[in-house]
Amino acid sequence: MIEVAVVLDRQHRPLHWHEPPDADAAALPDSRDLWEALWAARAQLSGVAHSHLHRGRPAPSWTDLTTFAACEAGLGVRLSWWIVTLDDASCFTHRGPGRYDYTGRTAIDQETAAWIAELRRRSLRDHPAGGLETP
Amino acid sequence: MNQRMIGASQARLNITWDGQNGDLPDSVPFDASDAEIKAWASEALRGGGVPGVTAARRADLQDFVIDRFPATDEMPYNRLFVRPKTPFGIQCG
Ligand SMILES: [Zn+2]
Repeated sequence: MIEVAVVLDRQHRPLHWHEPPDADAAALPDSRDLWEALWAARAQLSGVAHSHLHRGRPAPSWTDLTTFAACEAGLGVRLSWWIVTLDDASCFTHRGPGRYDYTGRTAIDQETAAWIAELRRRSLRDHPAGGLETP
Repeated sequence: MNQRMIGASQARLNITWDGQNGDLPDSVPFDASDAEIKAWASEALRGGGVPGVTAARRADLQDFVIDRFPATDEMPYNRLFVRPKTPFGIQCG
């Protein structure tokens, strides 16, 4: 079971799956590869999703919030930051007034549901209960 | 920048900010600390000193990281890149 991230285009379709070998169930380490994927996709980018391998309402960690703010500052655009748990998903966007004030909402259309299922599948791959958690 | 002007202990410094990136005109010491590099990069961004990047008075590189690449046969000088950090985590703070 590992945390996985996916870069999304403006049609909410996956552009790049980020599954580095040094990820574990609680963290995706800093990655120049992920930054290069974001930079290369910047003209068509809508956001990034990553998994949290627990049940219940998603909430960004401090690491997540500071990464959201850093990437937006580097790219010069605001993005949608999805967090997908085993049974829920929310999309966080900057609402201010502070640099790290992001607010979540849930609005899952068909395109979104498709990659959410795939993100859970990839995150649970080697878990004994893998595949059982997708609603 | 002319790469022949970059000494063995120096590096070209590339900075990404606000959807743009550029190289600092002057080379910097390759073994400078992350804090030193971020301070020079912030100062350059604020003063409009990075060609290709619009001056950004409020530039703050607190959540940025430094990638360091030593010279190679293909790239005959050291390079430093200031870019946004990208980790995610449930528990680490
Ligand atoms: Zn997270």
